[in-house]
Amino acid sequence: MTEAIFPLLGTAFVILIALPCSALIAKAGLMIVEHEKVSGRLHSLDLRYILLIATSIVPIAWFLSAGLHQIESGKLTLACLFDHNAALCFEPGFFALTLIFVVIHLGTATLRHNRRPRISTSTHADALTQRVERLILANASLQPLHGRIRITDEHDFALGTHGLLKPVVIIGSSFADRISHDMLASALAHENEHVRSLDPLRYLLLKLALAVNPLGRFLLGSHVSRWHAAQEAHCDREAVIRGASPLSLADAIIRAARPSTQEAVALGARDTTVLKFRIQMLLAFSEQNPTRCCRREIPAIPMILILLIFTLILPHQTSTAALDAIHTGSEHILTYFLH
Amino acid sequence: MFHLRTGKIGLALRLHALEATIMDVVWSKRLFAFSVSDVLVVLEKQRDIAYTTVMTTMSRLHDKGLLTRKRDGKRYLYSPKLTREQFLESTARTVLDGAIGSHQAIAMLAEKVSEASADELDDLEALICQRREELGI
Repeated sequence: MTEAIFPLLGTAFVILIALPCSALIAKAGLMIVEHEKVSGRLHSLDLRYILLIATSIVPIAWFLSAGLHQIESGKLTLACLFDHNAALCFEPGFFALTLIFVVIHLGTATLRHNRRPRISTSTHADALTQRVERLILANASLQPLHGRIRITDEHDFALGTHGLLKPVVIIGSSFADRISHDMLASALAHENEHVRSLDPLRYLLLKLALAVNPLGRFLLGSHVSRWHAAQEAHCDREAVIRGASPLSLADAIIRAARPSTQEAVALGARDTTVLKFRIQMLLAFSEQNPTRCCRREIPAIPMILILLIFTLILPHQTSTAALDAIHTGSEHILTYFLH
Repeated sequence: MFHLRTGKIGLALRLHALEATIMDVVWSKRLFAFSVSDVLVVLEKQRDIAYTTVMTTMSRLHDKGLLTRKRDGKRYLYSPKLTREQFLESTARTVLDGAIGSHQAIAMLAEKVSEASADELDDLEALICQRREELGI
């Protein structure tokens, strides 16, 4: 029983104190970045994404690694791999396991709502796939989508990109039947940007980062919404730069936003601010071709991986002082209550 | 400098109706170094409007920083200070403050809106049709 106090209190400290504090710091950083220039809300997308993700990844990775290496801090990482004294690692190891369990539990609850639309194999779907593939072959900028098209017969699904490491574009058959070739090609150009940026993976990581942080949605929800909106506007811009027709894309976006008769009741009051903004931007692009405004940012996913590895190594190479303090503190609390 | 006007779309979100109409004419006709009469000629095809009304509104747009002007004899010649895209980008800061996202893990072309927003979608479609006509597409 006494051995369980540090793992439980330690995990509670990470989830209830460290993560919300980290979210507060990230919020301050995001506010600075978003106010950096007149159009700050639309730019610095990768930097803002890294800040949003790091707010959860860094504290969890650090405490997890500190838990696994509490008795070996300051030693070389290789020494840990070859000479790991398991007997002495019980409490910190148990803490690490509890932390992993809680994070996985919170994450799994989020993943349960991430349902992929059912892929159709009907003759109509085959014909539609062939139509789209012909469109892709006729358009050089859409080539990366070759072999990545799937069709769904779900009436409420219009068009979206799904899949983590090898994303595919899923097209609702009823949506595709309602739009012209030009609209479809422009919409595919938009989705192509999501595929290129591995956006489903990025969106999922973002969702998980918010889910594990009890105050994440409260503190960072508005920043995430703005980031999502700016990312969609960025994909519209890139699609037009790569040759999509801005007005056809605007038309396709409106068709995709219209609810079908079956789902109209269930949707409730959805916000149209972002939709209006995107359409206005596309109208502006029809007057004057957009250009890439900013210098290329460092890609977010590799940066997060580097940050993750660095954070995992850090407690081993330097010190686990913060975790040691929690360890000692929880033992003092236990002693206080027992005597 | 600008304030957002609820229930409006596009330029009218930040500008009053006539200001938005004038800026729309300036951008869509790609006017540069133009006088009040140049705008009046276009607007008169759409509605009855007095020269002084257009002049006052353009002066207000100058005060708001959307138009620059220089004297040319007895009149002013106006030019747009921002492109439509730059203007919209500058509105992003305020517009996106009100954004509500679904935070889902699938990248959708567009979030479905409620049936109640059908009129707004119709208005947006009308704007696209209007732009197609202006560009002769």
